Amino acid sequence: MLDLIYAVLVLVSLLVTVQSAHTLYLTLYTWDRPPAEARAPDHFKPPRLSFTVMLPARHEEEVIQGTIGRIAQSNYPEHLIQVLVICRADDQGTIDKAEEKISQLQRHGLRNVEMVVFRDDPINKPHGLNAALPHAAKDVVAVFDAEDDIHPDIFNVVNTVMEEEEVKVVQGGVQLMNFNSSWYSALNVLEYFFWFKSRLHYHARLGAIPLGGNTVFFERNLIVELGGWDEHNLTEDAEIGLRLSAAGERIRVVYDSRYVTREETPPTLGHFLRQRTRWSQGFLQTLHQGSWRNLATRRQRFLAFYTLAFPQAQALLGIYVLFSLGTMFFFKAPVLVALISFLPVMMLLAYFLICTVGLYEFTRAYGMKVNPSVIVGMAIAWIPYQLVIAYASLRAVGRQMRGVSNWEKTRHVGAHRQQVAYHTESLREAGDRAA
Amino acid sequence: MPPDRTAEAPRVLHPPGVRSQPLREAGVPTASTEGLRSLGRPGTIALAFALLSGLITHSYHLFDYPLYQTDEGIYMERAWAVIREHGLSPQTYVYDHAPAGWIMIAAWVYMLPGHFEAFGNPVNSGRVLMVILHVASTFFLFEIARKLSRGLLAPLIATFFFNFSFLAVYYQRMALLDNIMVFWVLMSVYLLLRRRGHLFTGLWSGLTFGISVVTKENAVFFAPAIFYLIYRQTKEESNRSFAIAFWIIGASAPIVTYFLYATLKGELFPKDFSFNLNKPPQGHVSLLYEMWYQIHRNSGTLFARNHSGLQPSYLYASWLPRDPFLLLVGTAAMVICLWVGWRERQQNPAFLIAGGLAFGIAFYLARGSVILDFYVIPLIPTYALCIALVGDRMLKRIPIATAVPSISLLCAVLLLLPGGGYLLKHGQQGQLQLADPYHVPQTFMQQAEIAWVRHNIPTNARIVSDDDIWVALHDVNPVYPYDQSHWNAATDPQVRNKIFGGGNWEDIDYIVMSNGMRQAMELNNGGTSTSTGPEAYMLYALDYHSSLVWHIHRGNVNLYVYKIDH
Repeated sequence: MLDLIYAVLVLVSLLVTVQSAHTLYLTLYTWDRPPAEARAPDHFKPPRLSFTVMLPARHEEEVIQGTIGRIAQSNYPEHLIQVLVICRADDQGTIDKAEEKISQLQRHGLRNVEMVVFRDDPINKPHGLNAALPHAAKDVVAVFDAEDDIHPDIFNVVNTVMEEEEVKVVQGGVQLMNFNSSWYSALNVLEYFFWFKSRLHYHARLGAIPLGGNTVFFERNLIVELGGWDEHNLTEDAEIGLRLSAAGERIRVVYDSRYVTREETPPTLGHFLRQRTRWSQGFLQTLHQGSWRNLATRRQRFLAFYTLAFPQAQALLGIYVLFSLGTMFFFKAPVLVALISFLPVMMLLAYFLICTVGLYEFTRAYGMKVNPSVIVGMAIAWIPYQLVIAYASLRAVGRQMRGVSNWEKTRHVGAHRQQVAYHTESLREAGDRAA
Repeated sequence: MPPDRTAEAPRVLHPPGVRSQPLREAGVPTASTEGLRSLGRPGTIALAFALLSGLITHSYHLFDYPLYQTDEGIYMERAWAVIREHGLSPQTYVYDHAPAGWIMIAAWVYMLPGHFEAFGNPVNSGRVLMVILHVASTFFLFEIARKLSRGLLAPLIATFFFNFSFLAVYYQRMALLDNIMVFWVLMSVYLLLRRRGHLFTGLWSGLTFGISVVTKENAVFFAPAIFYLIYRQTKEESNRSFAIAFWIIGASAPIVTYFLYATLKGELFPKDFSFNLNKPPQGHVSLLYEMWYQIHRNSGTLFARNHSGLQPSYLYASWLPRDPFLLLVGTAAMVICLWVGWRERQQNPAFLIAGGLAFGIAFYLARGSVILDFYVIPLIPTYALCIALVGDRMLKRIPIATAVPSISLLCAVLLLLPGGGYLLKHGQQGQLQLADPYHVPQTFMQQAEIAWVRHNIPTNARIVSDDDIWVALHDVNPVYPYDQSHWNAATDPQVRNKIFGGGNWEDIDYIVMSNGMRQAMELNNGGTSTSTGPEAYMLYALDYHSSLVWHIHRGNVNLYVYKIDH
């Protein structure tokens, strides 16, 4: 019996180690490729493509005006941009704020922003997008979130990439910015950093990519042909990405710190937990729904399965963390077994070191500075963070089993904009000092 | 903004007044590997020559020369323990060395049909592995020299010394941790030079370096030069931070595992956390105490003519007589490499890297700790590399018509003139003969010794012997379970108490020894046979209660079997 326990311990440890090594590889994939592969073009082609920007918003009174303003005033000809602010009729607060901003823009001569208000169910983002799709009049449909800080040249970037590389789908970089606003924010920021800067490139190269929820651009006809977004999926973005991949559509990922869309981490642990639950449940739904099975190659299908099932694996890993902590104190194994069971811990330490380096890379790329106390905080938060994610995955499984699939909204307060303001101020101070 | 790695190849410049030469890829040497042409036909021939000459010089007469050394026996018996007992040592493992080296030997032996007896004497199995590792190391050294010099002359010079030097052939044939360590270190350097800009290169280089450290700890003295190399190789790369982090992760993994092993065994710290060197902890081994002890060991300087009061240091007694050219010219070349390398470090780190590698291990040898005969091994490839780079630089300054005859003449002197000693020497009667490694049989005496023991000593006899015959007497029937080395009979309580009555000469039945073992016993006993040191009871039995029952002699080697009269 004891031998069986040892065998299971060794097997699980080896599996977790292999999985960790694979994750580490995906995390740093892009740094092992020529830098030009991920970068945005250095020179823009003249604007030719026109864009319909879909901006779904619900209870986003605090941030919606700033987002509309940024999109409407981007560095792209006004006549080639159409902005659709999408709200449900019961969200009067956001509608009022949006209309106020539209009026303000119209006073300044900008008339390319419209409201799309829907009244039917379900109350979620994909339904809003589908409701607005018939109103999209331009060549390319772009999706942004209400709290996004877009770069003014993002349309020039996408216009150039679509023209030069003849792709119909482009995923732009999205980056959480406020890495020091809560105990979990640095880890959350790094997840985005590694996901968009590295891992998505691997998915794109293999042709099995779960797209992100914003800064994503589709040729309008393509999205209409596909029938729009899945309204019953909590991660409609990932689902449509896999559907596009299965259709053989080449997807280009552009992560360039100069042009990323800036976002914020969820303001409270509760919101973070609900966001993670939604993502996990959405992946679970996509896994069961099965569009990934239509991918052409076994390798693509495996990657899609691995990605979609990963939240559940994370739940198991969370349980395993607790189990292994228990074995450290209460279980005496032979030295070789104990050594092998330590391998995942070594991978964890390696991953932490990579994250530390990643945080310095991130702050350097965005002109920020990281205090060593953030690293200490990250080390302390590491295990609790994994446990929260594991709990979110378990919660997602529970919700799915109970048939609960309502959209748990993540609140946005504009912390990333405070971060940018702070950064700008720092730069100004530095400039003053230098002068 | 990070530069595009696909940018133009480095420009090729010829030094003023020097024509393009067929043996070299002329150009400004840099550590960059970008733009290096593939080997081509001349390079392939040069590499094939290097590998073949290494194979021949190291394998010819391999099982006959040199004599099986004590340390070869120790690592073979530990490999035996890995396979047969699933442990790290047949006796108490005292953390005197990290175990990766003999784990590798064990893995190799396990794959062989016949395991330890695949090539006759068990040590031969280890020696065959050394030849394989030497050929692989020759490849790494060739490529390192080629990439640092951007030509073919330097790799030819480096591998010439690495393959033909008497010092190299003598020590590199032995189944020693140092040879395995050199293999991993060269691989680590090679990996960094092989592909520039690839993230995972750092990981593999770090991992191989980490393995070298847990093969033989003195590999850490290579760390500054190798770390400088990765620092320079990634200087203009966008993935620099991650590549360096990966190197650190890779290098740490085997070392952390070693410390973890000790922790899991409850053997990391000494008993009562006592690091008192005057009062070694009894009955409990400790990794940290052993490290503390090793750091503080001092047995005089390498440059002392009278080493420990018994004999001159190995520098004078063993190394310089075997190859003064490599050691003296190599030292000068190291100094030149450091000097030139420092001056041109911004444009070309090659010399500083080669000099740094050699300096690391030279510093280790010269700093004044315990030095054994074969500790010179890691110096050989690094000195060869320094000589090669300096020679290459010098020869580039003279016309090809002078350079080729000069280098050919030097090789001929070292190889063919008896004074060089690499291939030919004068015999005792002044006749011309092949150098010892290709001519003198020595191990037949140890084979005869083992055969005599098997035919004349009962298997239940309590035998004190040397480690070089331990596996032979424990792996094949008839097995001698009570045969132990004098070192273990003196220091390992498990052996001393259980077999030899806690150090009672009357519990010894036979002593199987060489004149070298006698010297080692006296040295371990405090430099005398009459003190009350740990080996005193064996020396007492030998000097006052023994009868010589077998003896063989050749040159300065004497083997004896003594029966202890009770």
